[in-house]
Amino acid sequence: MWKPVRLFAFKRKFDFLGQRRIALILSTLINIVSIVGVFTIGLNFGIDFKGGIAIQAKAKDGKAELDQLRNTVGALGVGEVSLQEFGDPSTVLIRVQRQEGDNQCVAGAQRVMQKRAGPGWLVKPGAAGTGDVEFTAPAALDGANWRDAVSRVGLTLQERQLPRGTTNTAKVDMSVEQRAEWCQQVAIKLVEDAIGTNYELRGTESVGPKIGDELMRSGIWAVIATMVAIAIYVWVRFEWQFAVGALIAMLHDVISTIGIFVLFQLDFSLTALAAVLTIAGYSINDTVVIFDRVRENMRRYKKMPLLDLLNQSINETLSRTMMTSATVFVAVGALVLFGGPVLHSFSIAMLWGVIVGTYSSVWVACAGLVYLGLRADQLRPADDKADKADKTEQAGA
Amino acid sequence: MLNLPRWQTIVIAGITLLSALFALPNLLPSSVLDHMPHWYSSSRINLGLDLRGGAHFLLEADLRSVLNERLTNLSDSMRAELRKQQVPFKDVTVEPGRALVVNLRDESTRSKAIEAIRAVDPSLVISGTGDTIRVAYSDQEMAKKKKEVIDQSIEILRRRVDETGTLEPTITRQGDERILLQVPGIKDTTDLKRKINQTAKLTFHLVNEDVAATGQNIPQTVPPTTYLVPTREGMQELRRTNPKAWEDIQSANPRLSPEQICRRYQPQCLPVLKRVVVGGEDLDDSKATFEQQQGGRPIISFTFNSAGGRAFCAATRANIGKRLAIQLDGEIISAPVVQSAICGGSGIITGSFTTQQTQEQSLLLRSGALPATLTIIQESTVGADLGADAIQAGTVAALVGTLLVAIFMFVAYGPVFGGFANLAMLVNLLMVFAGMSILGASLTLPGIAGLVLTAGLAVDANVLIYERVREEKALGRSPFSSLATGYEKAMSAIIDANLTTLVAGVLLFGFGSGPIRGFATTLTLGIITSMFSSTIFTRMLLSVWVRWRRPSELVI
Repeated sequence: MWKPVRLFAFKRKFDFLGQRRIALILSTLINIVSIVGVFTIGLNFGIDFKGGIAIQAKAKDGKAELDQLRNTVGALGVGEVSLQEFGDPSTVLIRVQRQEGDNQCVAGAQRVMQKRAGPGWLVKPGAAGTGDVEFTAPAALDGANWRDAVSRVGLTLQERQLPRGTTNTAKVDMSVEQRAEWCQQVAIKLVEDAIGTNYELRGTESVGPKIGDELMRSGIWAVIATMVAIAIYVWVRFEWQFAVGALIAMLHDVISTIGIFVLFQLDFSLTALAAVLTIAGYSINDTVVIFDRVRENMRRYKKMPLLDLLNQSINETLSRTMMTSATVFVAVGALVLFGGPVLHSFSIAMLWGVIVGTYSSVWVACAGLVYLGLRADQLRPADDKADKADKTEQAGA
Repeated sequence: MLNLPRWQTIVIAGITLLSALFALPNLLPSSVLDHMPHWYSSSRINLGLDLRGGAHFLLEADLRSVLNERLTNLSDSMRAELRKQQVPFKDVTVEPGRALVVNLRDESTRSKAIEAIRAVDPSLVISGTGDTIRVAYSDQEMAKKKKEVIDQSIEILRRRVDETGTLEPTITRQGDERILLQVPGIKDTTDLKRKINQTAKLTFHLVNEDVAATGQNIPQTVPPTTYLVPTREGMQELRRTNPKAWEDIQSANPRLSPEQICRRYQPQCLPVLKRVVVGGEDLDDSKATFEQQQGGRPIISFTFNSAGGRAFCAATRANIGKRLAIQLDGEIISAPVVQSAICGGSGIITGSFTTQQTQEQSLLLRSGALPATLTIIQESTVGADLGADAIQAGTVAALVGTLLVAIFMFVAYGPVFGGFANLAMLVNLLMVFAGMSILGASLTLPGIAGLVLTAGLAVDANVLIYERVREEKALGRSPFSSLATGYEKAMSAIIDANLTTLVAGVLLFGFGSGPIRGFATTLTLGIITSMFSSTIFTRMLLSVWVRWRRPSELVI
């Protein structure tokens, strides 16, 4: 049997907070650069937030021809299109911008109808200012066949919308917003028809304009609510200075993670948001462990100067901090290497989060306590449990 | 602290074993599971659509149009009633969205007009002054109507999507006006999407009793006013006895008419007059209820709007004793005999029905009533092999991740303590699996990421304890005392650290949708179970180990 190896045993006591001014400057700089980056370069929002379409296509034989695909899909009149290799050379991720529901989309719908319902179908936009769409059949049809034909382009024909009398034209009345949502489906069908013969469509994601806006809003709320809830928890369990310190550390981590997304232009999607929130949780996890020791030491060494006391607490918990960071780091590292392309942005963000979370617990959260002027006499009296722990200690000693 | 009473040891070991038992069906190969009782082998974690492949659609119902249609219907009834009560009025207009405005010719007839309005529908909210009366649905009524429309749409979807009975769609309400449709394992969504956009078509026809009287199911010729329509039972029978024919009918392009189906495949059919008595767009509602008298047999009630009511009244008055066929999507779902003239817009269908049958029939009727247009506002389709790739990537990442963490713990804390921590991590994973099986949660790819992260975080409690034990040991405590105080003192940090992460996890679950939820589920579960596995479970292991080995020195 082997003996345990002290992986992170540090003989020397580091003066962590002696460097707090350098850390302060560094952190402020990173955060300012991140914020400036968000507003100048901008985040590479995924379709979750921006709306749009992402189609994963795999060439039926051999390699995906990106240039050729770009031309084909670009000529469909579906707006901005971007392509990238996804995972392996035969697979390509086609992204189409969110559809606005303009007349170009109606023209596209006509092409879909002619391909899927039969030649001779005409599709025209209705009156300006509405989202109405008019369908003209090549021949007289009964109600069931009308409904069947129009459903091929992703619309529902209601009983009242069926053509009356001798006309072969039916109008589907929609609002402008509804048409924009429908045009997403039209764009998907156009891409399917254009590349379907040579490529196998492995997966399709589509987010309409409405949902995109909603997801963005609920995402922002999730971040705010998480940080506030955690800060309140820390405030209840510790003192307000701890809560403020923890909150600043969390903000620091969240902002600098967003900075990483800007820097590498990683896809900022729902999963990326999950990563940001998890980083907030992880960062606080680390911070709280150090804070816990700070509180304990403050009760024990009532006269020790704050700076020394913080340094001592950080040093005492250092090997644990390094150990946990290392285990989480290797776990997330496995995700980066083996988790596949879908989790890639998420894992990279998490990896960064582990590093920055560890850094911020020491140099942001604890340094914050120094600047916030925490004093030992501000501590609430120890609760029962800690009391008991102290007594056991005395009994043991 | 380390002197656990025997019962505690047993309880802790029991919980651990139980979790393992619940988690086991997820880990055993199917060849082993086949030999186990079904109730046990079937309690496995569902794989999310991103792993097993399938389609996910978020649909929004166009409630506004439906409500406007209903208001237009209401305005027709209102006009008829006002005329009947001889209240002079200029017009009745629809205020899109929620109200009607009645403009009277003479202010003095206001109270009479209000009476007439109440007669149409007593639940309406009436406001306005002078010669204008504003009539609106109450908020309660509005919410009820919206809910009805959504329920109706769900019913239509269920019937449409699962026509062939081979898919297992999950259709759920999402908020006020949305429906989530999930179809696992579907390959081609083109047909599925078309079905979403096809509404049910309901019509009432009189049965041509002269033709029916001949007793032939499929007569050689029928008069030009009449056509043959298969009955619902007939089609179900055909599907059972001749699945090939059923397939052909479903895939025929162009679609076969009911008459063609009758002639070609000869299911049970009825000759009905082509003329439509009333259409589904005139049907306001249908409910399964019970008869007032005669022992309260289950019956089906239905209500028409005024136009539908008038047409129905005329048709039933002239055809007492004949059958009235109710045709839904080219099948006759029911053909009750007209007992008396049904005027006043509402009627009932009696028969020897069970409650279940009346419920099904009224649902069918409702699904043929005015439907809402459904728009796909979010779509996610994952092919099966893409899902298989994701499973493979997820599994490899999870295995490598946990293995690396395990090696780390072994190296850092030695075979005994590292082993205990790793055993705890294993128990934690088992408990997460068990928890997900019990909760019926789905495992998604982000969920696997949550699991991997949990593996890394779960050992944190042990790291905290062991580091503390090392500190206590360095202070010169005895092995037993260092372990006991190590546990005790690490506790508050463990609780705080876990609870804060838990706060993040729970909020992620609450605010998040789709991928975030899957991640939040495993992360939250993992944190909760790790509090058990990393502290309570390892403490039990240690207490047993200490009593057994009585170590004179801690190798940590």
